[in-house]
Amino acid sequence: MIAVEELAKLIPDKEVDARGVACPGPLLEAKRGITTVPVGGVISILSSDVSTNNDLPRWAAKMGHEYLGTITEAGFWRIFVKRAK
Amino acid sequence: MAKMVVFCGSDEPQKAFPPFMLGSGALALDMELVLFFTMDGLNIVRKGGAAVIKLDGAAMTLPQFIDTVKQGGARLIACSAAFPIVECQEEDLIDGVECSGVATFVAEAEEADVVLTF
Repeated sequence: MIAVEELAKLIPDKEVDARGVACPGPLLEAKRGITTVPVGGVISILSSDVSTNNDLPRWAAKMGHEYLGTITEAGFWRIFVKRAK
Repeated sequence: MAKMVVFCGSDEPQKAFPPFMLGSGALALDMELVLFFTMDGLNIVRKGGAAVIKLDGAAMTLPQFIDTVKQGGARLIACSAAFPIVECQEEDLIDGVECSGVATFVAEAEEADVVLTF
């Protein structure tokens, strides 16, 4: 995890907009998105589904990726995951 | 690789969708997925069946969910024991569905790490 102030400055290699899609839509978008960046690359997933805030850190841990943190925006969240393998 | 087996026994939307919602999640976590369709659950994999099973608010339509889990490598198994009960035949099923009986389900379930029933 990195501090929100640092996260806000981070420019992801890929942004995936899954806003307005119910679970497990954002998770499936994250799974697809992570393969589009090289190892070490960062994706940010935009989600308006509250449960995705818990799901993506669990998914990242299980898959061996690094969950970097979440920024709360107006009506949605920006979740950062670094591809680790 | 961990394996999840789901018993899909209903075409009622609130029971027909969760196997795919959870199943696609299992695939996202790199689990092996087997969906076993029996009784009215066979309507999910009957040609034209999934399109008429609708659930407002779900992430995808049922045909889209079926495509998603198939592309993710899931095995879809139709239970031939239920064929005469619900008047279904192998040629009534969508492509990519294998037909098996109770021994397959029991063996798959016995090997699985997670078994869910809907």
